[in-house]
Amino acid sequence: MDLHGMTPHSDSGKLEQVVSQFLLKSLHIILDSRIPSILPCERTCDSRVRKSDKWFNLVLGDRPAALDNLNFWHRNLMDPMIIDIILVQQRTPVSSVNNVLSGSSGRTATETVIERWFVQFESPPRVTASQPGEGCAASYKKTYKKSIIFLRSLYLQTRLLPAYRIFRQLSSSSQSLNFDIIYKVSSFSEPFSRAEEEMMKEYRFVPIEAFPGRLHVSVTYRPQLSDFNLQSLTTMLPKIISDYVGSPATDPLRYFPSSYKGDRAISFPSEVMHAPTSVPSQRPHSWTSGFHKPVVNRHLAGSPPVHCTSQMSYDSPSPPLERIQNHRRPLHQRALLYDECQLSPPFSLSVSPSTPTYLRNSDSPRQTRASCETAPVTIPSSMTSRNARYISPNFSDPSKLSLPPLSPRSTRLDHSSNESLSGMRLIKKSEASRAGDLGSVGQKVLKDSRDDSGRFSGPLSSSDSPRVGFSRSSSKLSFQDDIDDCDFSCPFDADDVDSPDSRISQNFDGKRNLESTSIGRKSQDAAVGVLVHMLRTAPPLHQDSSCFSCRSLRAEVDNDGIATTASGFFVPRRTSDALEELRSYREMKDLLLSKSGTQVLTREPS
Amino acid sequence: MNCEVCQLKELEVEHFEIREVLRCILHTIVFHRALGLVRPKVIDLELFDITYVQCGDGELEKKIDEKIEQFISWVEKHPNKKSQVCISFYEVKNKHPSWFTNKTERLYWEQWYINLNVSQQQKVHSGKSHPSKIVVDPGENSLEERSNRRAALESSLREVLFQIIKFVNEKKDHVPPISDGVVYFPYEITIPSSSDSAFGMDMIKRMLQTGHPTMLS
Repeated sequence: MDLHGMTPHSDSGKLEQVVSQFLLKSLHIILDSRIPSILPCERTCDSRVRKSDKWFNLVLGDRPAALDNLNFWHRNLMDPMIIDIILVQQRTPVSSVNNVLSGSSGRTATETVIERWFVQFESPPRVTASQPGEGCAASYKKTYKKSIIFLRSLYLQTRLLPAYRIFRQLSSSSQSLNFDIIYKVSSFSEPFSRAEEEMMKEYRFVPIEAFPGRLHVSVTYRPQLSDFNLQSLTTMLPKIISDYVGSPATDPLRYFPSSYKGDRAISFPSEVMHAPTSVPSQRPHSWTSGFHKPVVNRHLAGSPPVHCTSQMSYDSPSPPLERIQNHRRPLHQRALLYDECQLSPPFSLSVSPSTPTYLRNSDSPRQTRASCETAPVTIPSSMTSRNARYISPNFSDPSKLSLPPLSPRSTRLDHSSNESLSGMRLIKKSEASRAGDLGSVGQKVLKDSRDDSGRFSGPLSSSDSPRVGFSRSSSKLSFQDDIDDCDFSCPFDADDVDSPDSRISQNFDGKRNLESTSIGRKSQDAAVGVLVHMLRTAPPLHQDSSCFSCRSLRAEVDNDGIATTASGFFVPRRTSDALEELRSYREMKDLLLSKSGTQVLTREPS
Repeated sequence: MNCEVCQLKELEVEHFEIREVLRCILHTIVFHRALGLVRPKVIDLELFDITYVQCGDGELEKKIDEKIEQFISWVEKHPNKKSQVCISFYEVKNKHPSWFTNKTERLYWEQWYINLNVSQQQKVHSGKSHPSKIVVDPGENSLEERSNRRAALESSLREVLFQIIKFVNEKKDHVPPISDGVVYFPYEITIPSSSDSAFGMDMIKRMLQTGHPTMLS
């Protein structure tokens, strides 16, 4: 502000005004660089120059409201103005972890003075008589010019001291931090203890001549603030999400629980956040990694997502942590990911590119499992109840193939699923190319071997051993080819029935097989096809143990007197075996009916 | 009026650090000598954890950047040399045209010398290295040395800024009065010329213009 525009006061009055404004400006500069909350929101876009800005030709914007009270309490210019910059730090005791979980705050706040600014206009008690008028007339102008220069250096000095970094951290961080900065302005303050003094440094500015006195400005500050553990608040601990939101492709859309709004991040390394593809690689059927970020970010934005959901409950324990980590993203990045979530497909290609690949590509078993997961094949309940002995796998969740075997259950479905898993063991022991052929028969084999109670009632019940109807040595690969060619859900379509049957009948009296199996084939085809598909996607079996098991099963079959051809593998014959058993039942039925019919005929005349 | 001279602490900088270091120092000096109405602008250095203040004037930034680019060009032609960048504040005195002076007479009242020692890292495994190009040594020791050197430079730069603050507060009487409507005192940024002796000639020329011997502190 140009001194010429000042109101015509006495020189002493002008000097007093300069000193008063000097105090205000100093306080404004210090608080502007220390207290984030003191900054007005509309500061950045305001280009107008206020009256207060013109003082000392330094535009600082609106003065904080606290400065309005300065003239009220600081009536005597001779009183020092002491500005304490206090670091308030919240500390959570170790024993109060439960308090954190329960939401109650067991934190204690510690206050530490990290800076103390001392500004004082020191005037001698008497004014020397040698310079009464001229000194006063020109002094305030010189004082004003020198004050301009000083306040420039003060503005820079406040940005060079360590406390400015804390101010920047508070200003820029959108997270809740465990510390804050407050200030105290007074004309008196308690002196530092000796220990505190040893940890602090002092810088004294060159006094500014303000005839008849001087303006003294000094600062006592902590040169090192690394002793304070300044970090973001970590109030949220990993916890299991009960209300897990699934993928939009398979699960109904669900909102994230509102309790996550106030959660805070755990300070994990940022590299984890930026490597989400590591999660899908462990779980090929998982697409959650791509949803972690959008879900979390959207959650932080306050509005729960509608279509950006994740299937975290299917994943390993890492997803909750990964979701927590994403809380740490800056606000602008979170907003960007929010937009990505809006536009991106359910499977975030940018984040987890492997996920859509799994869905699209059905070449590998793992990917097929993923595709199965997204479009599960369910076996109709009627079929399962009627043909439980033949329908072993539970294709509703092929992922169970990789799981340890379930415990035996009483229900037929469960038993069939159990069979499927045990069958999988056999399958795992043979070559992968025979998986489709082995699975269907092998499961039946094992099922028979275990089930003494009555799965196979009737004439075949005595044969606890698996039925080996026919050899399929030459037909295995072709059978597998048929599975490959057809839809996985129904590999034994009516159109394709002839081809496997024709091969099957090579080792048998083909007509008998065709007659016995033709009626029941269509009803069993879907289930068997599902089974075959499951077996096809199963990991390859080992060679050695399969030979052992197949030999033992073959021996049992031979003992039962069922015709078999020389074949090293019983597992692929389970389907044929089942068909033959059906045929035998039909023969029995026909026989019984014929006998009953003869008796009736013989009785009637009597 | 005496010409106050301030020799700032010498800084060892690499080629890619010149721009930031010079911007920081030059803007800090000008900010303390721009006694007109100024809206300060806080700038964070990218290479160092230092914040400095500019006047927030686009024209000023442009002029300073041009001078910095000229200096960098000179450094590329004269590698591994200690160099100075001088910023001088002067007053325009009455015009006395003479045969070896310009129309306007400049009375320098303050000079700042920014001393730089531009070092260039050489490749360890390559036998040929262009002296004007900075190559990064990928060895582990060199990385550690580089980080140590960077930390030392940051500390030195901070010392230079404090040195400026101290100087501007200690010496204020030589500063001319502030003219109405004028933000900056006239200033001049001098970089070494293409020839080694030209810099000395510039000093002699300045001495003739000012009519005062250059007093080195």
